[in-house]
Amino acid sequence: MKHYSYFPGCSSEATGVAYGISTQAICEPLEMELSELEDWNCCGSTPYGSTDELEAICIATRNLALAEEKGLDLVTPCSSCYLTLNRANSNLKLYPELKDNVDRILAAAGLKYRGTVRVRHLAEVIVNDIGFEAIESRVMNSLDGLKVAPYYGCQLVRPELGFDDPENPQSLDRLVESLGAEPTPFPLKSRCCGGSLMISEPDIALGLVRKLLESASDNGAECIITACPLCQTNLDVYQGMVNAKFKTKFEIPVLFFTQLMGIAFGINGKALGLDKGVISAKRVLKPFQVVAK
Amino acid sequence: MGNKVYFMIKTAEEAGKEGYEEALKGLEAIPEVESVESVSGDYDLVARVDVPKRVVPIANKILENGGVKHIEILRVEPLEPNPFMEEVCSIPGGEGVLWCAQCGLCSASCPNVAQMDYSPRKIIALIRAGKRNEVLSSNSMGVCLSCYLCTVRCPREVKITELMHALEGLAVRHNLSSPKTSTPTMHRFFVNSIKRNGRVHELGLMLRFYLKTNPFAAIKMLPVALKLLLHGRMPLRARKIKGTEQIKAIIEESQVMGGAL
Repeated sequence: MKHYSYFPGCSSEATGVAYGISTQAICEPLEMELSELEDWNCCGSTPYGSTDELEAICIATRNLALAEEKGLDLVTPCSSCYLTLNRANSNLKLYPELKDNVDRILAAAGLKYRGTVRVRHLAEVIVNDIGFEAIESRVMNSLDGLKVAPYYGCQLVRPELGFDDPENPQSLDRLVESLGAEPTPFPLKSRCCGGSLMISEPDIALGLVRKLLESASDNGAECIITACPLCQTNLDVYQGMVNAKFKTKFEIPVLFFTQLMGIAFGINGKALGLDKGVISAKRVLKPFQVVAK
Repeated sequence: MGNKVYFMIKTAEEAGKEGYEEALKGLEAIPEVESVESVSGDYDLVARVDVPKRVVPIANKILENGGVKHIEILRVEPLEPNPFMEEVCSIPGGEGVLWCAQCGLCSASCPNVAQMDYSPRKIIALIRAGKRNEVLSSNSMGVCLSCYLCTVRCPREVKITELMHALEGLAVRHNLSSPKTSTPTMHRFFVNSIKRNGRVHELGLMLRFYLKTNPFAAIKMLPVALKLLLHGRMPLRARKIKGTEQIKAIIEESQVMGGAL
């Protein structure tokens, strides 16, 4: 049993609730234990860093200080949390003056951070610590013939934290293969979905989502998988708006990679939060929905 | 506002020692060249040049020299006090403006460059020229996607995305944000949500944002909100963490220390 501290991120309680549910569901077959960090706060994400750098680092570091007491790697399923918490760690190492200020501010809140927590993305942990061989051995329900476009997005692979190639990543492709499915070519696999600009600059973001859906469907994908709650929301929930704006007819289900793993492991759809998807995956997944026991 | 520019210079190999001598002599004859030193490694010489205005004419003058094969900008520092550049350099991620080579790969890589008042390369050039208002009141930061494509491609390891974030923070602090983009407003509501609850409440954030910026857009977004509600993805109530007092203490202490560094 591998044991980690777990940082779910705000989305896992709302738009990305299916990500949180399916992550918990695949822990048992993967022999992984995720202990949720008690009373974690929002990492601050891009918005806080674009408002006040010092405050942003301190807000992120509160979580690192809480995690340090547990002494385990801190795992998050959210690409933005992964980037933001790692960025706090690396900036504290790079800028000693910043570290002094952060130490003083955290002390005012009764906190202390020594800088020892390793922050990791769930996808990276599953690929590197669990490994494809172990994943393959848990498959009860091989997803033979299912064509899956693996969508990495930006902040899982950029800036480079060493997980995978920043422009042509492969690990989710291998993961799809280990479940018996077929990764489709997806030239835009690490291009941007618009992120939170879907709220403030929707015209820009909808155009980017359209390109992604086009690239996936032109290459024959029956569904897309993602490793980021914001990517999933933009591609799934806004697909209708893309169709209305560009007179397109996309109807591609967008799953979290954890959901696809769960289906291959024989876990039932409800326990994976499949009902949370706006574009239903029922039709595409029907041939594979053999529930365990 | 002028700059001190350090050029790395590669001399023509085929011309051997004579090429090197020719390059050195030619460089010393250019009035703007303050000093030339020889270095070992990928380049042969480093020239310190005072550039009162534009760097291109002087770079061309250096390249006219028959002994010079290739040049690259190593570092740019202000000739006269440039408080804006100093301010930018003092923020983590901002210091890269000192060693940007102005190659433009960032601008060529940016998915949103067409929507920007100034491309990322130009933003750095404007910072070096001390143009605070032009930079901070531009929409460039507001349409940056934070996709980090520029950052991973930059041959000089300038953290361009981080620089964009730092600039947006400065624009907010100096009350100069561009009215053309509502991204800073969205960010403000996002941050306020954290300050209140310790976590982000997506529904509250979106409602506040649309009511503030464009209530009509809220109507257009209604189908999206409904889909989220129907699929159990949009809790109506915010969740508050127990440690909100700690969050408050962190914010108060940060503000005592004067905000961003």
